[in-house]
Amino acid sequence: MSRFFRAAGDSDSDSSSSEEEELMSSDDEAPKQAAPAAKPAMSRFLKSAGDSDSDESSDEEESEMSSDEEEQPKPKPKLGRFVHGASSEDESDEDVKRVVKSARDKRLDEMEATGKSMDNALKINDWVAISTEFDKLARMVQRQQNVSEPVPPFYIRTLVNLENSLNVAVAKDKESKKKMNASNARALTAVKQKVKKLLKEFEKEVKRFQEDPEAFEREYQTTVQPEVAPAATKVKKAKKAEEDEDEDFMTVGKGGKAVHYTPESIFKHLQVVQEARGKKNTDRTEQIRILEKLLEVSVTSYQRIRVLLALIASRFDYNSSVATHMSAELWTSAQKEVDQLISIVATDSGYSIQEITEDYDDLAERAPATESDGVVRIRGSVISFVDRLDDEFTKSLQNIDPHGTEYVDRLKDEKELYSTICRAQALYEKTKQEDPLARVIMRRLEHIYSKPDPVVLALEATVATSDLKPSAILSADDKTSSLIHSLCVHLYKSGNSLLRTRAMLSHIYHFALHNDFHTARDMLLMSHLQDSIGNADVATQILYNRTVVQLGLSAFRCGLIKESQATLHEIFATQRVKELLAQGVHQQRYQVLSPEQEKVERQRQLPFHMHINTELLEAAFLVSTMLVEIPVLASIESEEQKRKAISKPFRRLLDFADRQVFTGPPESTRDHIMQASKALQDGEWEKCRDLIQSIKIWSLMPECAAVKEMLAKRIQEEGLRTYLFTYAPHYRTLSLTLLAKTFSLPLRAVTSLVSKMIWSEELQAALDQSAGVVVFNRVELTRTQQLAQTLADKVNALVEQNEKALDQKLGVSSGWGERADGGKGDKRGEQTQERSRRGDRSRGGARGGARGGRGARFAQGLGSQMAGNTQRNR
Amino acid sequence: MAEYDLTKTIIPHCDRHLVFPLLAHLAESDLFPVEQVQTAQYELAKETNMVDYAVSLFEQTHPDEHVPPEFADKREKAVSTNEQLQQEAQAVLDVIENPEVAQSLRQDKNQNLQFLRDHYNVTLEHITALYNFGKFQYSYGNYSGAADYLYHFRVLSTDPDLTISSHWGKLACDILTGKWDVALEELNSLREAIDSRAPSHPQFAAPSSTADPALAQLHSRTWLLHWSLFVYFNHPQGRTLLLETFLSPTYLNTIQTSSPWILRYLATAAVLSRKSASGALSSRVRHSIREIVKVIQMEEYQYQDPVTQFLKELYVDFDFEAAQKELSKAEVVVSNDFFLGDFRDDFMDNARYLISEAYCRIHQRIDIGDLSERLNLSRDEGEKWIVNLIRETRMGADAKIDLEKNVIEIHRPPLPIYQSVIEKTRGLAFRTQALGAAMSRTQQPPGVQDAAQPAVVEAQ
Repeated sequence: MSRFFRAAGDSDSDSSSSEEEELMSSDDEAPKQAAPAAKPAMSRFLKSAGDSDSDESSDEEESEMSSDEEEQPKPKPKLGRFVHGASSEDESDEDVKRVVKSARDKRLDEMEATGKSMDNALKINDWVAISTEFDKLARMVQRQQNVSEPVPPFYIRTLVNLENSLNVAVAKDKESKKKMNASNARALTAVKQKVKKLLKEFEKEVKRFQEDPEAFEREYQTTVQPEVAPAATKVKKAKKAEEDEDEDFMTVGKGGKAVHYTPESIFKHLQVVQEARGKKNTDRTEQIRILEKLLEVSVTSYQRIRVLLALIASRFDYNSSVATHMSAELWTSAQKEVDQLISIVATDSGYSIQEITEDYDDLAERAPATESDGVVRIRGSVISFVDRLDDEFTKSLQNIDPHGTEYVDRLKDEKELYSTICRAQALYEKTKQEDPLARVIMRRLEHIYSKPDPVVLALEATVATSDLKPSAILSADDKTSSLIHSLCVHLYKSGNSLLRTRAMLSHIYHFALHNDFHTARDMLLMSHLQDSIGNADVATQILYNRTVVQLGLSAFRCGLIKESQATLHEIFATQRVKELLAQGVHQQRYQVLSPEQEKVERQRQLPFHMHINTELLEAAFLVSTMLVEIPVLASIESEEQKRKAISKPFRRLLDFADRQVFTGPPESTRDHIMQASKALQDGEWEKCRDLIQSIKIWSLMPECAAVKEMLAKRIQEEGLRTYLFTYAPHYRTLSLTLLAKTFSLPLRAVTSLVSKMIWSEELQAALDQSAGVVVFNRVELTRTQQLAQTLADKVNALVEQNEKALDQKLGVSSGWGERADGGKGDKRGEQTQERSRRGDRSRGGARGGARGGRGARFAQGLGSQMAGNTQRNR
Repeated sequence: MAEYDLTKTIIPHCDRHLVFPLLAHLAESDLFPVEQVQTAQYELAKETNMVDYAVSLFEQTHPDEHVPPEFADKREKAVSTNEQLQQEAQAVLDVIENPEVAQSLRQDKNQNLQFLRDHYNVTLEHITALYNFGKFQYSYGNYSGAADYLYHFRVLSTDPDLTISSHWGKLACDILTGKWDVALEELNSLREAIDSRAPSHPQFAAPSSTADPALAQLHSRTWLLHWSLFVYFNHPQGRTLLLETFLSPTYLNTIQTSSPWILRYLATAAVLSRKSASGALSSRVRHSIREIVKVIQMEEYQYQDPVTQFLKELYVDFDFEAAQKELSKAEVVVSNDFFLGDFRDDFMDNARYLISEAYCRIHQRIDIGDLSERLNLSRDEGEKWIVNLIRETRMGADAKIDLEKNVIEIHRPPLPIYQSVIEKTRGLAFRTQALGAAMSRTQQPPGVQDAAQPAVVEAQ
């Protein structure tokens, strides 16, 4: 009953307990039945009258028209209502007096009880309790008003009292803000606002009350008696309105009675609700409420499953297309209901929910005993609910400002979501449905693959406590990688190639995150994903990009500078890092995105907490490029060779820094690295080290101290190499001990470094062991000789290119459209240069010949699918 | 040094019978307690039909116990099975060994079958009997007999699985009988058979079932790698052939993926074949060390032992002292290894050469005493060694010993520029030819290839 009043105005959704109470009470009192049938109509009426934007009336007319046309569903309910309406009329005429009175007394008692508990709560300063009690009270009063009874003075008194104590509490709160916890504080402000609103509403009464409380009370007593008659007449009027009510309303009337009805009527209501679903003027709030009610009264598992299926679906329907995401409350209740649904199905094996079932009668009750094979099959899909829940969660995270507390609050729900997913997994494991099981495992995997261990442990902790456990769970002393491994292995075995690919990428990402660079690299290469990723969907391509980037970072953390540079280079060459990682929309300079494109792009964005920090990424990339590039720059003399830069972005930045007339102290990460590069070029390795180590962003990297130390060592070594390259022409001999002292490296390391350079013919020199010096024997080349050499190099490169082009033609026969383009990408892959050799053509073994060219197709990942402007960017 | 022993890792990739020599070797070297090895040998023999051998092993390990009675049963059963199978096989063998038949057999197997069926009433079942008998003979240790039967079977059979299986069987027989030339042939034909069973390339979009042939191929290649060790380290030409095979991309991938420990043998073979490197050999063998060092570096996280570490210290870190230390460790490892044991002195010799070569290339003036120390030789020996080295290698003209100062002076004139250009462009013509050949082999319409060409040039 109270439900209808809530529909009339109240927005809050809890206090089902009070509802229940109400229902109980109405059960007790037979005569009260008279009222419900009529009152809803009235409340409805009042609402539409009070509504400011009342297109309601026109809607009603419309619906009337349509209901006239719609023959089938109409007649039965209409008849029922008619009959009912008639009877209620009779009853109310006779009994109304007694009824109203007793009911009112009861209500007053209730109000007083509520007021008392509010007082109690006030004493202990528990504003959460006050808030709920107050809401209850307000609802009761509203109902009172709807039966056209005056507002009881008790309520006004409470209101005034509450306002006073509120003022006190707020004042106190201001003094000691820290003491009150978050939920309490929130409740306090909520109550404050509500009181303010209500005070305005009852301004007149409050004033009168404050002037003379006793007179006010007397007045109330006298008004109560005459009110009775008008109430009855109103009932009559309402009945007339009822006839004009739309379909929507009818369900309300029946739902209200559902309290003690046979299961049959539940199905009828369900059907009506389902028919109304998706129609233009369906009140979604109303529907949800009906379904909630139905859920409470449903008895058998079958009924509950049916109602839950409808209820969850309508919760997801609730959002209009304008809103970006589901509200958190709605989401939470949907999540709870999915949980409930799963546990019903999981505990009772006599029921199963399937997407495809034989046709069955929607209106009949079914039980395992009556079915042919002892299992009731119900049409529906748990996996789609889980999918939807997860998607809505992501959507809300995409749309909430990541720097606010709301985001953090929302993020806390991930725990619940994760446990729901795990429960779903357990369910499907039990029912052995392979396809949804794989999907749900993928969902689970996606929640944990990119997270550090403690977070995964926290998520897993909730799963361990739930009653339904999936096969793979993480105990406290286990490693997360074992969990990830078992999940991934399951997915590898599944038939779905998309899931396999995604599982593989997540697995690789996880390894990379845990600094297991070699395993991650081997897996990526063995998967041959770089060959086919261009054909995958955008989300998978994004995952691929993320994986490759994480791989680069892991190489950096492991001190594998060259590998890191080669891996990260690809994505930085596109200059669209953020876009490729789905962490921001790229501003197109020459073309404007259409709104649709922009929307699609926005939907792809990852929630903030999953982002890979691009600044850190850039720092890692630039530093590793610096360490690779600066010695190379120093070693080459001719302008000709200089054009073949390893990394264009870095070279550009360096040139720009060179042109700067005045260089101030470094501010950004880039400034730091550019100045460090120049210091390295000049042989001032200490300055270079200091500059690099003072970059602030390193603190975001795990094990940052170790990384810094590693960088310092690298800088010493590369500094030595650069020094030798740069100054070799000016020396005849150079003492090794001096070098060791200058770069504070052990003599042995210096010898080894120099030996290496001599061996690989980078440096034309020899060691003199007895004197402990490096002897340079440099030959100046004539112009012709230089040209001849360059020509030879070029011819070599040409043949290599041809071989590679042919390789790709013969090797992979998939529908990869941009062969020549791929070759171009390969050329840059530094690794390829090392290991090009011809034999690679036969790609037989599991690892294939493509050990080089890692991530060569990287840029194409998104490039081929997105605006198609990759070409320009290259 | 037991931690560097690879027997345990290798055994899973070998046939039961191939393990016997491995264990026998272990019994000789004293890396593991003799009792353990003996027990292992017994366990191994128990499951075969070599009943007598098993019994003798049992008596060795359990001197005061009675031989379990099941051996007697087994023996009887084996004998009876043998007779039965022999009878079945003999019929076919009689026909085949008839010189007339042998002459009329042709290349085409189906035709042969038809011929045999028409004229001698020999059916497929009969031929399969050959296989069964050969297999049984193998199981009780009559390897040469088994080899014969399996050979005949293979000539006639059309069943691809059984043919491959008989290939393996024959190879095992040849290895165990020590006929290395035959075994080498067999090895090559088996390798071809495995490689030609090209699985469809597992694609990202392909259904999961196609992944399996690739996996099977990987398995057979891994096995082949292990089995071939027997052949390659016993055949006189084996080491160079090993380099050829193992460095081919498919097998290199197999090593990297499934059996990184093979790197030890690869590295040793590369060191061993240094001397012949001056001869006319394929480029792959000549540059083998460089290739292998790269692989060792790449797989260092998966596998390392003194042999690979030696190469790494020498060619990656150029730390001659550490290389020297690793070399002395490697010496023990090599001498204890079943396959490498015989090559210990060779290995040490060549490794010294490698060290001194690298040392001389980097240094201009070397103290002889220091170098001798690096090579683990006494001063006099060292001097002799160095003189030999200078005489033998190409640096003869550049290096001079100054006995007064006790140093070697090396003057290596820089490489003339024209030579380096020639070096760089060598083989380009050949490679282009190979390209052309490969292109004409594909059955794509020429138009498509023409289209690809300009794009490549553009990429320059």
